Amino acid sequence: MRGTGKYLPIVPVLAAYALLLLYGVATPGKWQLVAQLAFYCALGQAFNLFMGMTGYVDFGYVAFLGVGTYGMAVTISSLSDGGLGLGIILIGFLVAAVFSTLLAMAVGAVALRLRGAYFAIATIGVNEGFRYLIEGARIWNGADGIIFSRHLKTALGRKMAMSVSTFWADIFVFGVAVLAAVLTLYYLRNKVGYALLALREDEDAAKVMGIDVTRFKIIAFITSAALAGLLGASGWALKLTYVYPPDVFEIHYTVEAIIIVLLGGAGTLMGPIAGGLIYGVSKYFLAITLPGFQLLIFAPIIIAIIVIFPEGLVGILKGKVHGTRLEKYVI
Amino acid sequence: MFFEQLSGNLVQGLVLGSVYGMATMGLSLIFGVLQVVNVGHGAFIMVGAFTALILFQSLGVPPIFAIPVALVIGMLLGMLFYYGAVKPLVSPSGTGIRKVGRKQLGKAAGVFVAVMIAMRILSGILDLNIAFSIFIAIILMYSFLVYVYGGRRQEKGPELATLLVTFSLGVILEEVVKQIFTSEARGYNWDLGKLDLGFTVLPLTKILASGGSLTVAVLLYLWFNKTRAGMAMRSVVEDSVGARVCGVNVDWQYALSFSLGIGLTVTSGVLLTMFIPVGINPYMGGGYTLKAFVIAVLGGLASPYGAFFGGIVFGLLENGSYTLLAALPGGEPFALTRFFSFVMLLVILLIRPTGLLRRKG
Repeated sequence: MRGTGKYLPIVPVLAAYALLLLYGVATPGKWQLVAQLAFYCALGQAFNLFMGMTGYVDFGYVAFLGVGTYGMAVTISSLSDGGLGLGIILIGFLVAAVFSTLLAMAVGAVALRLRGAYFAIATIGVNEGFRYLIEGARIWNGADGIIFSRHLKTALGRKMAMSVSTFWADIFVFGVAVLAAVLTLYYLRNKVGYALLALREDEDAAKVMGIDVTRFKIIAFITSAALAGLLGASGWALKLTYVYPPDVFEIHYTVEAIIIVLLGGAGTLMGPIAGGLIYGVSKYFLAITLPGFQLLIFAPIIIAIIVIFPEGLVGILKGKVHGTRLEKYVI
Repeated sequence: MFFEQLSGNLVQGLVLGSVYGMATMGLSLIFGVLQVVNVGHGAFIMVGAFTALILFQSLGVPPIFAIPVALVIGMLLGMLFYYGAVKPLVSPSGTGIRKVGRKQLGKAAGVFVAVMIAMRILSGILDLNIAFSIFIAIILMYSFLVYVYGGRRQEKGPELATLLVTFSLGVILEEVVKQIFTSEARGYNWDLGKLDLGFTVLPLTKILASGGSLTVAVLLYLWFNKTRAGMAMRSVVEDSVGARVCGVNVDWQYALSFSLGIGLTVTSGVLLTMFIPVGINPYMGGGYTLKAFVIAVLGGLASPYGAFFGGIVFGLLENGSYTLLAALPGGEPFALTRFFSFVMLLVILLIRPTGLLRRKG
């Protein structure tokens, strides 16, 4: 595929996000749901960038969201008197991305040397390990967490702070989702994606062909982690204006990311959107009709998908549109 | 004073470590035979802990007699989960990929609706929670699909698939237990007296737990080395194709070792309750999953005895490091030991992924 045509699949993605955003803005009372859906789509997009493309499961993924949240929290709580205005949020995002990139480099340096089951074993402790480092060594206030709503008000003024945490934080989440989708498509259509595809199918063969698999794994791992950091900074830190270790290092978010990616189809561009929307909407209605049962219902669904539909929704759709004019829009 | 504390902690670590070792043997057994990492390991330990708690609190059964009950419960759970979820992914006699057709899907949907209606009627009669019956309906529909398509095997990514499946099984167990017993932390008090060693005091229950895990380890060793059934299982670990050629029923060995592995893990949950006076809750397993991984990797991942000795080493290191970390100013030693076990995992994986005790060929 050559020319601009190879980036056509971004059209349905952007359309989906634009429609979601429009629905949220136009329908009173549904903004929270839309924000939640955008968060799930972004989470899926970011997680898919590594898990979907490489076939490696990172059970400690939520740790990257956690340190991203801390990045924003630490920035705002320590720079609020600097008179930076809205610039503080920009710095916060930068710090969040840097924090999660650093953690990804530290974890990746060990875990990415390992394969398959050993990789999963190495990552499963990352979120617990990091949480207990923060609590144990009393870094960033330790187990007490950081509450920075006051600092946000000092930095931006009461009114602006309110609108940041009730509206703009969610818009930033949309931004992260789009950024993740663009990066995914760019990788899929370039050397990184081809190398990772070869790696996912047969790592040894890819190595023999002269592909520097470790390099491409690191690229995908760090990109995915940095996006998670940005997502944590916007969807959690700015929205909630506090951070508390047991909340942000909660393994359930990794489970949600896995469900979303698998539902939609691992390694596809549109999969996480489909998965995120289905998961978000069904969770929303389950929370109303059957509170407390979401995980109990979703866990068997993961198993059912893996055993019965391993290619996911978009994977099936890809098979259906193969050879038709829609083919170039679906990936 | 410091050394007295350290030696006291090391003795405690030795006792706890032997139970850790036993808690990891099941993980290693399953990995050795099926090449499946049971990511939901901790949840099975939790089931064992609840077994001990319930038997003790409502029936007055001393935990030591809960061991056989836990073993049976664990083996049944193992069989159920193996045939229900793991087998289609790992079975050596899979029949290749078959697509699920529309007709079959329609059939499955029909079964689901029928089960839903039945559950709805039943929940009227038996006062079953509606949500719970929906859950059971999903499970039944799922079992139906697996029954129809059992033997279907995925061509690629079995590792990813088994990781996610075992993880989800763990989540299911946690959530079911949460629905029944709520997520509050519970505990029980079983007192047999204490043994005073001068520098530390050991409750007899802990010594009993340690003895129990040692007995299980020895029995497992004898079973693997002296009986035909045990040797058949070992032959699958060594070379599953060769074992099949020699007439070993590899399918059955897979099922048996998964079930035995889960049985051992649930049993170890009973023994672990002697060390946690008030820590029994549905989500207690997470920490033990992490510890079990460290221990299994210490012992070489595929070897149950390696795991047992790995457990003892880990117990000593954990409790020893607690004393040292407590000496550091300004830290929380308990949280830091948990961080320490994570760092240890990474270090071992980096320098000796084949385990500390032996090098696999």
